[in-house]
Amino acid sequence: MSQDLESQLRAALRPIAPSATLEKKLIACVTDDPLHAQPKANRIGWAGSRSRIRRLAIAAAACLLTAVGLHNGMQLRRERATGLEARRQVVEALRVTRQKLNLAYEIVKSQSGSYADDNPGA
Amino acid sequence: MNEAVRQFTDDELALARKGNPQALTALVLAHQRSVYSLALRMLGTRDLAEDLAQDVFMQLNRNLKSIESREHLAFWLRKVTTCRAIDQLRQRARLATTSLDEHTHLERDTHLFSDAGASDPLLQRHLKLLLEELSPPARAVVLLRYQEDLDPVDIARTLEMQINTVKSHLKRSLQIMRQKTLGACQSRGEDKSL
Repeated sequence: MSQDLESQLRAALRPIAPSATLEKKLIACVTDDPLHAQPKANRIGWAGSRSRIRRLAIAAAACLLTAVGLHNGMQLRRERATGLEARRQVVEALRVTRQKLNLAYEIVKSQSGSYADDNPGA
Repeated sequence: MNEAVRQFTDDELALARKGNPQALTALVLAHQRSVYSLALRMLGTRDLAEDLAQDVFMQLNRNLKSIESREHLAFWLRKVTTCRAIDQLRQRARLATTSLDEHTHLERDTHLFSDAGASDPLLQRHLKLLLEELSPPARAVVLLRYQEDLDPVDIARTLEMQINTVKSHLKRSLQIMRQKTLGACQSRGEDKSL
């Protein structure tokens, strides 16, 4: 069985001839000047452009992240400023309200004092 | 393969190293079958095999000055083809997604094995499937042994492996193939009896 399998493998694995088109391409690969081997140059170019595209994509992603970060930071700052302004306005409103209430209290107090003076039996 | 090496003479190699177009053409004609077959059976698809064969010959064109003899040339071609094929398969395994795998499987070439002179076409087809199931290094070892007719020492040199690793790959691969072939033959026999 072992010998049979090995002979079957040998028979099955005999070299296959490439197509005539490929043969021409292969001959062109070796007969071209190595410094001007166009297909390889294209491949290197494609590989180069691929890495360039990758670098550009990384740079674009970094720019996008920075822009988003800056935008978020500015928005946060704006919201904080708005909050501080609102707080200031509330404090101011409370201060004015307190003043008015104090004033009203003083008026009421003085009026009730004079009423007691005018009507001692009441 | 050995026939191809004999066809390409030392004089032609010397001329090829000087850039003689006829000698370079003879070089390609002598070695293209081996390189293409190794690439095809390693990678499984015709397109990838053609690309790899072209890359290998382009690389040879750049390194031809360093080739010392016909044997060195054959060794260099086998080594570069198998190593680059193994690298591609490993890369493919890393990047593989389900859809790509399915695509590759559908595109697998149906002519990985030469049926001419084959005694059992069914067995040949079965062996083809079994070869595809082997790991890339094991597949390279089997191809170098049974396609290129190299002995384990030369295979170890070509793939930069330990001789024991080569023997172990060969033994294990043949064992797997034998077991699965026996299993398939038995199931075929059972089917017939049914």
